[in-house]
Amino acid sequence: MKAIKCKDLIKRYRRKKALDNLNLSIEENRIVGLAGRNGAGKTTLMKILAGLLKEQSGIVEVYGRRPFNNLFVSANTIYIDDQMNFPSPLTLIEILEEGQRFYYNWDHELALSLFNYFGFHPKQRHNELSKGKESTFNMIVGLASRSPLTIFDEPTTGMDAAVRKDFYRALLKDYLNHPRTILLSTHYLEEMEDLLEEVVLMHNGSIFFHMPMDDLKTYSIGLTGKRTVLEPWAQEKEIFYTHDTGVDDRYLVIKNNLSDKEVEDMKQAGIRFSPVSASDLCVYVTDEKGRERGVDDVFNRSADR
Amino acid sequence: MILNTDGLKPIYIQVAEWIESEILNDNLKKDEKVYSQYKLADMYNINPATAAKGLTKLADEGILYDKRGLGKFVSTDAKQMIMDKRKNQTLKQLVNDLITEACNLEMSEKEILQMVRNAWKGETNESH
Repeated sequence: MKAIKCKDLIKRYRRKKALDNLNLSIEENRIVGLAGRNGAGKTTLMKILAGLLKEQSGIVEVYGRRPFNNLFVSANTIYIDDQMNFPSPLTLIEILEEGQRFYYNWDHELALSLFNYFGFHPKQRHNELSKGKESTFNMIVGLASRSPLTIFDEPTTGMDAAVRKDFYRALLKDYLNHPRTILLSTHYLEEMEDLLEEVVLMHNGSIFFHMPMDDLKTYSIGLTGKRTVLEPWAQEKEIFYTHDTGVDDRYLVIKNNLSDKEVEDMKQAGIRFSPVSASDLCVYVTDEKGRERGVDDVFNRSADR
Repeated sequence: MILNTDGLKPIYIQVAEWIESEILNDNLKKDEKVYSQYKLADMYNINPATAAKGLTKLADEGILYDKRGLGKFVSTDAKQMIMDKRKNQTLKQLVNDLITEACNLEMSEKEILQMVRNAWKGETNESH
């Protein structure tokens, strides 16, 4: 069975379409990264999947059921973000105990071990935690719940580099022992690349692409060389990004469908190849038209005057 | 081995090459069971699907064979296959790259052959 299925999904806020005819299908027991610019619709999609928001029209199914107001989906899904609202009279340890009562797969031993590892005090309260500590605690809840569909919305907000590394490791370890469907959105895609099986890139409320991480990493390639040398090669290629430096140096990102012969000839011509990270590519392809030079344009405008 | 995540080489190829090296070093002998995709995922902190892709690649090339339900094992002539493959592909590519760079530096065939000869001599002298 599919873990997630969306068809022509639409969600409109007062002024803006957050989800615009979104179609998506995700198999069970995969770790899937959800990428996209701010405002692309990631959070809206994840909240609808968790049953926290109601869709306007279209079909959305989690394990074959419509999530909104559904007890089955609610018991089998957890949604973790950086605005978790836990009852403020409860101590951290009491929150974990409540988690155990609610989630039938909950692993309390794992929860307590992680709790100790990250140096929490049992009597602490959630609203007393620093930003990074709060995210760390939420992450523990998300992992310990062992929900068949676990959704992390920006789980690493505020975490320092060491804790993020621990989080990725803990996530993988627990997933290997207890495979489940994990959907994550993150602004640190490059740090998570090797953990993800698939990447879904959202843009303006719909799916821009959905592909295996291995394919995405070889989907494009960076070329560096003299502008005059590069230009003939770049014709008829799909160009994702161009950046000029120095007098006549150019960096190009193109779709990687070069034949071995082309690669060989380009090397002979002195063109250098470099990999393009998945996160960079996601940024390049979702850039709005007419602002090719990015934020530099904002600054150059005043210089031109 | 440490994975090179910034390189052009996909992770699953690096995993496959590491297993090949283990076979060449006799750390994995013929008919011995190879690490499972989960073990490899844990070792290298990668998604198990990526690790599986590396194992499948080696199985497709005949370096590993499948025992249903038991996992993947090292083929009898795995070592020879890996050496042939590295000679015909990897080494050939390295030589091509060497010649490209030599041409960029406007070196003659004689010069580059001399360099290779010297390097070879140095190498064999050191090993004596």
